[in-house]
Amino acid sequence: MADQTPVLRIQNIKKSYGDNKVLKGVSLELNRGGIKVVIGPSGGGKSTLLHCINFLVGLDEGRIYLNGKEIIHNRKRELTAYRQKVGMIFQDFNLFDHLNALHNVLIGPVRVKKLPKSEARERAVAELERVGLRDHMTKYPAELSGGQKQRVSIARALAMDPEVMLLDEPTSALDPELIGEVHEVIRDLASGGMTMLLVTHEVGFASSLADEIFFMEDGKIVEQGPPQKILFNAECDRTREFCAKIGRLHNNSS
Amino acid sequence: MLQGFIVISENLPYILGGIWVTLTVVVGALIMGLSLGLVLSVAQVYGSRVVRRTVGVYVWFFRGIPLLVLLFLFYFGILANLQIELSPFIVSIIVLGLISSAYQSQIIRGAILSLPEGQLKAARSIGMSDSKAIVFVILPQAIRLSIPGWTNEYTIILKDSAVTYALGVTEILARSRHVAERTYQHFWIYILAGCIFLLLTYVGTKLFQILEEKVRTPGYTQ
Repeated sequence: MADQTPVLRIQNIKKSYGDNKVLKGVSLELNRGGIKVVIGPSGGGKSTLLHCINFLVGLDEGRIYLNGKEIIHNRKRELTAYRQKVGMIFQDFNLFDHLNALHNVLIGPVRVKKLPKSEARERAVAELERVGLRDHMTKYPAELSGGQKQRVSIARALAMDPEVMLLDEPTSALDPELIGEVHEVIRDLASGGMTMLLVTHEVGFASSLADEIFFMEDGKIVEQGPPQKILFNAECDRTREFCAKIGRLHNNSS
Repeated sequence: MLQGFIVISENLPYILGGIWVTLTVVVGALIMGLSLGLVLSVAQVYGSRVVRRTVGVYVWFFRGIPLLVLLFLFYFGILANLQIELSPFIVSIIVLGLISSAYQSQIIRGAILSLPEGQLKAARSIGMSDSKAIVFVILPQAIRLSIPGWTNEYTIILKDSAVTYALGVTEILARSRHVAERTYQHFWIYILAGCIFLLLTYVGTKLFQILEEKVRTPGYTQ
């Protein structure tokens, strides 16, 4: 039964900065365990879409439903409860710079969930272990590599027990050799059944993981479908052109 | 010159006794300034338009009026009219504290604004309310960044505290003046007073440096 209601439903989100219409009415649904990937050119509104879904950027219009229930973002309690359920991974990690890896993960369970210290600590250690960073718990963000930072940020999100994860280009700020370790963690999440909405330029990775790809340009979802169709057999000319370009890039680099 | 040394050695304990008075005024004012400054800075960065304006007026007021004017205004003007009896010592701490809060609020505000926007976003994304995000994520970082500014603030308040002699607070300058007027050894006595202030500046800035080193986040090279 629960599987029939989408975990997350986004309806007609619009967002402008002044005259610049960044999102022109975007709708999408995420089913439990589903993995959707958003691709598209820079400036197309992908990042803004994810930020809007978490209300980190205020929306001008549109509705968001979690498990069928509309989120009223003006109600502070409702908003903070919703954000715990929707984990967010940022392009530039955004770890809390004054806290070591362990405390970055710990701060949510302790301050937001109000778990007892020992229980929260156990949980945080388990999450760091899950992303392969047990040996780096006492390091501060400035002492970690980009890939390690991103893995800490994934552990931080996981410690809140999210039902959905939003990943905003999680590897685009990383050196090529560090991308693999983050991809591996995301793959683990996927096989564990995590529902995810992922923005990425790594089409190879996306196609191996996604059950659906959205091509987004100019504030709209232009086309959507299974990876093979979008990447190799798209209906829309613009989608085909874009996928051919990044496909070439991907082949050259691999 | 010999006469000078004799006078100094005879009156040294009395003048040095002023150090405690000076330091109590300075530390009291700094602590009061910090507590108020934290609240003001958060209000000015995150508050509504009206709140931001109000803080702006407060800062303008206390940064814009000379210390001596404020001391006289509070001690002889406001408090006397309200028939509140406070010692010059307490009034000095309060007035210096209010002035310092205006300056400190701007030090902390600058530090808050220098933090990457992503810090607040990340805090919100794990379900923190804005007030929790400010207390547990923003301020711990902003306070670290404020320490160099506070070192400066300490030296300014230290020197400003000499002005409180005008209300009759028996700090270093007031005591030096008593001795100088009695003994006519103005030159040597004021050299001594100056040296005490220099020494206090030196020790204070060293202590702030140690503090800065202590709370520095590992891996950061600032």
